[in-house]
Parts: sequence; C-alpha cells; structure tokens
Amino acid sequence: MMRRVLLLMTLAAGPLSAQLPARLGADAKASIERVVDSARARGLPTEVIIDKAREGVLKGADDLRIVAAVQSLARELGDARVLLGPSSSTALLTATASALHARIPAAELRHIIRAQDGRAYDEGRVSSALVVLVDVVAKRVPIPAATFAMAQLMERGTPEQQIQGLRAEVEQDIAGGMSPETSMRARASARLRLLDVDGQRGALIPLRSPPLPDSPV
Amino acid sequence: MLDDERLPSSLEQAVDLLRDGPPIRDEWRSALDVQLSQQVTRRVWHVRPMHAIAACAMFVLFGGAVTATFLLSRDNARVASTAPQSMVRFDLVAPSAVRVSIVGDFNGWNAEALPMRRSGDGRTWQLDVKLPPGRYTYGFVVDGRLVRDPSAPESGSDDFGVPSSVVLVSHRGGST
Repeated sequence: MMRRVLLLMTLAAGPLSAQLPARLGADAKASIERVVDSARARGLPTEVIIDKAREGVLKGADDLRIVAAVQSLARELGDARVLLGPSSSTALLTATASALHARIPAAELRHIIRAQDGRAYDEGRVSSALVVLVDVVAKRVPIPAATFAMAQLMERGTPEQQIQGLRAEVEQDIAGGMSPETSMRARASARLRLLDVDGQRGALIPLRSPPLPDSPV
Repeated sequence: MLDDERLPSSLEQAVDLLRDGPPIRDEWRSALDVQLSQQVTRRVWHVRPMHAIAACAMFVLFGGAVTATFLLSRDNARVASTAPQSMVRFDLVAPSAVRVSIVGDFNGWNAEALPMRRSGDGRTWQLDVKLPPGRYTYGFVVDGRLVRDPSAPESGSDDFGVPSSVVLVSHRGGST
C-alpha cells in the first residue's frame, strides 16, 4: 500500500526540476539535478538534498550559495555513508553528515559510533549522541572536549534521554556565564557519577582530557 | 515451585506422557510420508506460450514503475519509517500577525504546508506536528517573514546566514 502511495506521489511530483523552487535559475536547477542524480546513484537520500535547496530559497540565499550548500551536503552524506557502512538509516546518516559539517574529525566520530559498552547496537542512541555533539560544538564547546566527553558517556552506557538533556543544560550554563568547555565537562561528569551510584562503571572527566586514542576500527 | 518440592511419582509419569505426545504407529507414519511426497511431486508447472508473452509484456510495462517505487522508497526512508512518532507542540506569541506557518526539515521548508492556528487568547499561534525521532531545524513564517523560535535553541551551523531553531525528538518519545 505504502509503495503504491509513493508511486502516485512520484507521478504527481513529476520531474525533479518541478520539485525545485521556481525562483532558482536554470543553471542552479541543472547543477542541483546533477547532484541529486549522483546521490541517488550512490544510494544516498535525495530528499534531504532537495530540502536544502528549498531552505536556501526560503532564506533568500542567492543561487550560488544554494548550489554550494547542496554540493557540500551531498559530499558529507557520501562521507557519512563511507563511515557508517551501507545499512545505516537516513536519520543516522544525516546526523553523521551534520557532524562532519561541523568539522568533527571522522576518526573521533567513528570512536563515538562504535562505543557501546558491550550493549546491542542502538542506532537511535548513537544518532542522539551525534546530534547533541553537533549542538554543543555549535555552542562553542571545543571539539576535543566535546568528543572526549561524548565518547565517555557512550562507552559507559549513558541512557539516550540523559544524553539529550545535556544539550539544554550546557546552553543554560553558558547563558549563566560558565565557559562552554567547563559546562560540558561538569555536566558529563555528573552523569558518570550517577552511573556510579546506579552500580555501573563511571569515571570523572578530567579538567584537561588526554587526546583521544586512535580509533580501534 | 521451589527446588526441594517434588511431584508425586504418579503425577510425574503423567507429565512425562504428556511431554512425549501421543504414540503413532510406524506404518501410519510411513503412509503419511508417502502421501506427502506424492503431493509435492504432483505440483507441475504448465507453461503456456501466450501467458509467457503476456508476462514479459507486463514486466516491460511495469518494470520502470516498480524500479521507481523501489528508488523512491529508498529516498524517502524518513517518510516510510515505521519509527514511532511523537507529537510536538510548536507555539509562537505573535498577537499582531495575520498568518503564521511553520517551516523546517520536516516539511521541505514549504511555507504553505503547515499553517498554525491562533489560540484562544488571540496572541499565541500553535500547531501540533507528529515527528519521527531525529533532529529538525525549523522556523516560523510570520506574514511572509522568516523568524526563528525564540523559545528554542538556535541551530548552530547555518549554510545561508539565517539562523533557525532546532528541536530534538527522542527515540524514547518526547522532544527537547
């Protein structure tokens, strides 16, 4: 049933150029179509790429800037696919692409993605960790401190909702005058202490963390 | 039942009988096996030329549609996802606005897709949106002008120099 609906949607949507905003010039449309075709051939999600073009138009960006953003997103989705393998979901793929866009090194992302504390792989929890990581880096938490803290939280099995709560708390701390790095370390350490109380392994995150070890994968 | 409790021996025998199942005579089992094997061997495919031609024609005609459906289902993994969705309430205080809609990653930044409704106090615009787990950037279009949600975190990296807001929908339900 779903496939029939999708087929009807495809027929109704028509060619790709018709799905792109009319305001885009012919050259920009052609460039974006090439990017989308290439992404489709590589098995990457194309809807997010088209959405990026629509976002640019709504925000009043010029064609060159929109094409550049679309090309950048497609490249990052491809890099994320290489990092994650062929079976990852669109949600995890876009979260990883966002992290790459935020200039978080691939090796450190791989470390966080694989850190599961011996539990079954939970893609939702990994996606949330990457999303929060991107957001705290956007709040000027230095990338080494953010990735080190997140890897610790993932390795010790911190629940997904506690990882998600980190984002708002760090933002509150920063608004209250705390430095982003201090806030990240303090909030992450508090979570690890809670895991200790619950009988799980835990450790404090040192004020100055050592560099991340080389990725085991 | 505790470890040191044991059933009376008569009951244990009854339990053993139940576990073994009813006895079946060997000759009955053999006859059943023969009948089953005959059922399988009787299944013969009769290929008729006209049916084969019709099948080929159907394949050529609908192969493209099936391929398109397959590709689309891959591209729209987000839409086709069976992940549980959470209801997220968006609201914006804009008493003098005439028209407010919400735009974001979840609706292709389409200003017409999700118009908001003015609430009973006449000042606040609201809309409940069902979203699958994930991170979404969004904004409000207030009388044609894009504004970010003042009550939500700002999305960090914006490709177009116009900041959006961000909502995080949990895989365990709820949003932040």
